[in-house]
Amino acid sequence: MPAPIIEARGVSKSFFGNPVLRDVSIALAPGRIHALLGENGAGKSTLINLLSGALVPDSGTIEIDGKPHASLTPAEARRAGVAVVQQELSLTSQLSIAENIGLGAYPRRLGLIDYGTLAERARAVCDMVGLDEDLARPVGDLPLGRRQMVEIAKALFRNPRVLILDEPTSSLSAHEVETLTALLDKLREAGTAILYISHRLNEVMRLCEYVTVLKDGVVTADQSLAGTDADGLVRLMVGRDPGDLFPPWTPTPETETIVSVAGFSSGPLSDIDLEIRRGEVLGIGGLVGQGQEDLLLGLYGALPASARSASFGGVSGVPSSVPKANALGLAYVPADRKREGLHLIHTIAWNMMLPQFGRARGLSLRNRSQERALARDLADHLGIKGDLTRQVQALSGGNQQKVALAKWMPSDPSILLLNDPTRGVDVETKREIYILLRRFASEGKAVVLSSSDTPELVHLCDRVAVMREGRIAAMLARDEISEEAIVASAMGAEAARAAA
Amino acid sequence: MSVTSGPASRRLYWPAQMQRNRGVRGLFVVVALFVALYAYLFPGLLTVGGVSKFAQSWFPLALVSMSQALLMLTGGISLSIGATVSLGAVIAATTMTGPLGVVGGLAVVMIAGLAIGAITGVIVVRLRLPAIVVTLAASFIIGGAALLILPRPGGAIPTWFSDLLAGNTPAALILLIVTALLWKVYLATPLGLSLYAAGENPVGAYRGGVPVDIARIAAYAISGLLAVGAGLFVAAQTGSGDPVIGTAFTLNSIAAAVLGGVGFLGGRGTMRGAIAGSLLLSVMINVMFFLGFPPVAQYVAQGLIIIGAVALPEITGRRGPR
Repeated sequence: MPAPIIEARGVSKSFFGNPVLRDVSIALAPGRIHALLGENGAGKSTLINLLSGALVPDSGTIEIDGKPHASLTPAEARRAGVAVVQQELSLTSQLSIAENIGLGAYPRRLGLIDYGTLAERARAVCDMVGLDEDLARPVGDLPLGRRQMVEIAKALFRNPRVLILDEPTSSLSAHEVETLTALLDKLREAGTAILYISHRLNEVMRLCEYVTVLKDGVVTADQSLAGTDADGLVRLMVGRDPGDLFPPWTPTPETETIVSVAGFSSGPLSDIDLEIRRGEVLGIGGLVGQGQEDLLLGLYGALPASARSASFGGVSGVPSSVPKANALGLAYVPADRKREGLHLIHTIAWNMMLPQFGRARGLSLRNRSQERALARDLADHLGIKGDLTRQVQALSGGNQQKVALAKWMPSDPSILLLNDPTRGVDVETKREIYILLRRFASEGKAVVLSSSDTPELVHLCDRVAVMREGRIAAMLARDEISEEAIVASAMGAEAARAAA
Repeated sequence: MSVTSGPASRRLYWPAQMQRNRGVRGLFVVVALFVALYAYLFPGLLTVGGVSKFAQSWFPLALVSMSQALLMLTGGISLSIGATVSLGAVIAATTMTGPLGVVGGLAVVMIAGLAIGAITGVIVVRLRLPAIVVTLAASFIIGGAALLILPRPGGAIPTWFSDLLAGNTPAALILLIVTALLWKVYLATPLGLSLYAAGENPVGAYRGGVPVDIARIAAYAISGLLAVGAGLFVAAQTGSGDPVIGTAFTLNSIAAAVLGGVGFLGGRGTMRGAIAGSLLLSVMINVMFFLGFPPVAQYVAQGLIIIGAVALPEITGRRGPR
C-alpha cells in the first residue's frame, strides 16, 4: 500500500465529558476508496471534523504526508488538499452555481473575481459531475439532488488529494448516483484518497475496497472489504452488552387494538398501515430522519395527516389538533425536550402543571395548594428530588426528561408517544424511564417508542416497526427482534444482498 | 476590469446578475409606475432641475437604505443608523469651517463613520452578541456623542460646498450612481461576494474557506461610512448641523430595505432592491403629497404598503424553491 496522505493516530474526542471517539486510527491512502461505517452516533461526523480541522482532538494526532499536526486548522487542511462534502449543504442560495463552486477559492485578477477563469474552471468540474445547468443560475432554484452535485463540484474545484464524502447519495436520484460512482472510480485511478460514508450498504460493497467500522466511538474493524458481505458488515456495527440496563419484563399477550390506521400519510410518509395494541411497547426504529417523527406527530394531530381509515380508541378519524388528540388519550414526549418538551426558565412545578392549564374551564382561578400537592405527588412518583420551585433548566438531562414525562401523568393518557426519550440521558435515569414505560404498558395502556438506540428497541419492545424512506420497511414480532434484524432492515441490507 | 473582459465572463457575470434580478423585477415595475404617476402629477420632474431636486430629497434615504441592507445581508440589523447620520452631520458642521477645511472635515467624517462601523462590527462579530442589542446601545452612545459635539443646532457648512452638493446641481444623482457602481465593484471582489455566504450560512461558509468574520466586520465598516455620508449630505442641505436630524432614518432605512426585498435572516436580497425600495418610499411620499393626502394618512398608507410588499411574495411565492 502506498503511504497514506492523511492519517489519524489514536485520536480521542469528548463533548461535555461524554466520550465520542476513543483511540481511533484511520489512514487514507491515495487511489483507494475507503468506507466509513457506523450507526447513528457512532462518531463518524466527529471523525470527519477532526480530519478536516473543524475540530481539534483531545489527544492523538492527525498526520498529513507523515507530518503530525497537533491542532490542525481548516485552513491547513484545505491547503494540504483535504476537501469535505458535508451532509448538510453549505451553499448560498442567491449566488449562482459558479459563484458557489468557487466560493472561498475564487480565481482573482487585480483583486477582483476573475469571472472568465471561474466560468471555465467551474464548467470543467460541472462536466465531471454531470451538471449541465446554466452556471449563472442561482443555486436556490435547484432541486435538492442537483444542489448536492454542486456541493460535490465545489469540493472538486479545489483539486483535492483527499476527498471526504458524508452521505453524498442521500438525496441523489439513481442516475445521479451512477454519475457519482463513475466519477469516484475516475478519481481513484487518478490517485485521490477518498473517504466514503454511506448508510447504503450496496453502494459501499460496489464502490469501496477498504472499510473502517466505528461503534460507540471505537474502531471495531479496519480491514479490506474483499471477502466481506453485507451481513458481515452489519454484525461489525452492532452488538453491545445490554448488561442490567434493561428491566426484566414479560411480553404482553395478544390484546385488543387501541389505535389502527390504514393508508396513513403525513409529511414524507405515505401509505402506512399500523396497529397499536393495549399493553404493548411498540418500537419505531430506523436511521435518523426516515419519517419516525412525522409518524408520531401525525398520530398526535400536530402535523396535517390523512388516512384511508383510522380508529383511535373506538373514535374514527385522525385527530386534527393536539387538544383533540389529548382528549382521545394521546400524549407526546418530544425528542428535543429543551425546545419542545419543557419551558426551561419556568419552575419544575409549573412545567408539570402545564397540560392542566389548558383543561381549566374558562376563567376559573388556579387552585395553588392543590397544584402544589399534585406536583409533589408526581415528583415523588418519578423520583425527582428537591425543591420544585427551581427552574427546570437547573435539572440534569435525565431529570428534565422525567419532568417532560411527568406532566402527562395527571391526565392519565392511554397512548403514550415517545420520541427518543433517552437521548442524552444518564444510565441511571434511562433505567428508571424503562421501568416506567413497561409499568405503563402493564397497566393496559399503549406505548409507542421511537428510538435511535437499537438495544432499547431490542430489549424493551413487544414489536418493532423499522422505517425507511417514509415507509415501514419491516414489522418485527417479538421473536424476530434483534439488533442485526433492525439494522439490516434500516439499511436495506436485503436490497444489498439482492444486488450483490 | 476583469468583470467585462473575455467571452467567458460575459457568459457568466452578466447572466448571473440578470438572474439575481428576478426577485426584484416586480418591484422595479411598481417603482416605474409610481415614478410615472409622479411625473404625470408634477411635470416639472422631467427637467434637469426637477430631477436634481428630487434626487437631493432621495439621496440620504438611498444611502441609509444601502447602509441598512448591507447589515441585513450579514444577518444583522442596525438601530444606530439614525444616530450615525446625526453624528456625521454635526462633525461636518463643526469641522468644515474650521482650520481643517472642507477636505479635512470630509476626512474626519469618513474616518468617524468607518471607525464607528468597524467597532460595532467587532463587538457584534467577535463577541457574538445580537446586532439588534449592540446597535441599540450604540445608538445611545453615538447620539449622545452628537449632542456633546453640538448641543443645539448650529455650526456651518461652507456655502460653496452646500451649493455644490445641494444647490441647483445634479451632484446627488451623480454621487448615487457612483456609490452604486462602487458597490458593484465591491461585490466583484471575493470579500464582497462572500458577504452572501457569510450571511446565509456562516458555518458552511467558514468550512468552505470564506473569511466570515472579516467579511461581516467589513460590512459594518462600510455601513457606517454610508450612514455618515448621508449625515454629511443632510448638513450640506440645511447648511448647518443638527444633533438629532438623523433619528427618523433608522426606521425608514429598515422600511426601504424591506420594501426592496432584503430579508432579515441574512444572505437574501440585493442592493439594487434596497435602492429601489428607498426610491419607492421617496416617490410615494411626494405622490401622496400631490394627491392631497393629509400627512397622517401618508403614514398609514406607507405602513400598509410595507406590509403588503412583504406579504405579497409570501402569498404568491409559496410554490417552488426560493
